[in-house]
Amino acid sequence: MKRFIIFLAIVLTLTSILIVLGSYGSSARLLSFPSDSGGKSLNSPAAEMTPRVSGKYIVFSSDRLGRQDIYLFDMVSRSLVDLPGLNSFDAIASSPAVSENGQYIVFSSNRQGRSGIFLYDRETRQLRNLTKNLQAEVRNPTISADGSRIAFESSINGQWDILVYNRSGQPINVSIEPQ
Amino acid sequence: MACSPSDRLMSSPGSLNSRYTDEQPALSGNGRYVAFISNRDSSRNLFLYDLQEQVFLPIPRLQNRPDAIAQSPSISYTGRYIVCIVNDRGKPDLVLYDRVTQHPQILNQWYQGWVRNPSISPDGRYVVFESSLHGQWDIEVLDRGSNVELDIPDGVPVNK
Repeated sequence: MKRFIIFLAIVLTLTSILIVLGSYGSSARLLSFPSDSGGKSLNSPAAEMTPRVSGKYIVFSSDRLGRQDIYLFDMVSRSLVDLPGLNSFDAIASSPAVSENGQYIVFSSNRQGRSGIFLYDRETRQLRNLTKNLQAEVRNPTISADGSRIAFESSINGQWDILVYNRSGQPINVSIEPQ
Repeated sequence: MACSPSDRLMSSPGSLNSRYTDEQPALSGNGRYVAFISNRDSSRNLFLYDLQEQVFLPIPRLQNRPDAIAQSPSISYTGRYIVCIVNDRGKPDLVLYDRVTQHPQILNQWYQGWVRNPSISPDGRYVVFESSLHGQWDIEVLDRGSNVELDIPDGVPVNK
């Protein structure tokens, strides 16, 4: 009987140690942001796609208003941030990315059959086409968290290559293997 | 054999672009590193490139798995953490890789929905991804918790 109690005590101690250790490794949890049928939150009854997180911001595309637009969500205030002048009626906006301070958003836009990589500045509300002079299909842009560099794909060599620009639209010299 | 992928454990020189498809670029927070997917070397692989030194950085146990295809990479501020989707068992895995421990970890082990297009925050604490759980693509936000080692460069204050 005594031996059994000792055994039981050992088992209980080991179990509690395992539970404590387990909780250390798994503090990860899914955050719940409410889905809003009025389209004023992160999720809606429509699709939300290609989210990117940087700082307190999540930028993504959604077709909640009947066209594919870019949205910016603030995780701290749990609300959408206005992006005046970014979305337009005649363009499909996709693959957005945001700098950590939330000032710069890059995305790809398709208008009248032409694709372009656009940079939006939330401070000046200015929208700029970084690939106006590039005679190529472009897609999948991204911006570094510090807002200094933008990378995207271009079809200029007959297959997808990666171009890196600085924020003012100048290419960073990246080597391309000779054909 | 000198240039076979398994020898890529040291930083190896090379160019960002190749004659094959190079796509899905992800920049580190400081703009120095690019993670991307390439069809070079007769396989589809995830690469991490240092734009400053113009070399590839090794990512052992994530790269060059003959039975898996990686896609949609995203990296943290100095490139310490990499998240990507790895397809090897019929259902896509959301994988978090730590370049310090060189350990890939599956994040969606117990998650019911299909996942795609993950993104990690520059500090490495949050991972967002698309989920099919509600019958359409929605966004899930995973908080890795306050006890993870953040990827913050020395001397740069965190402005929240």
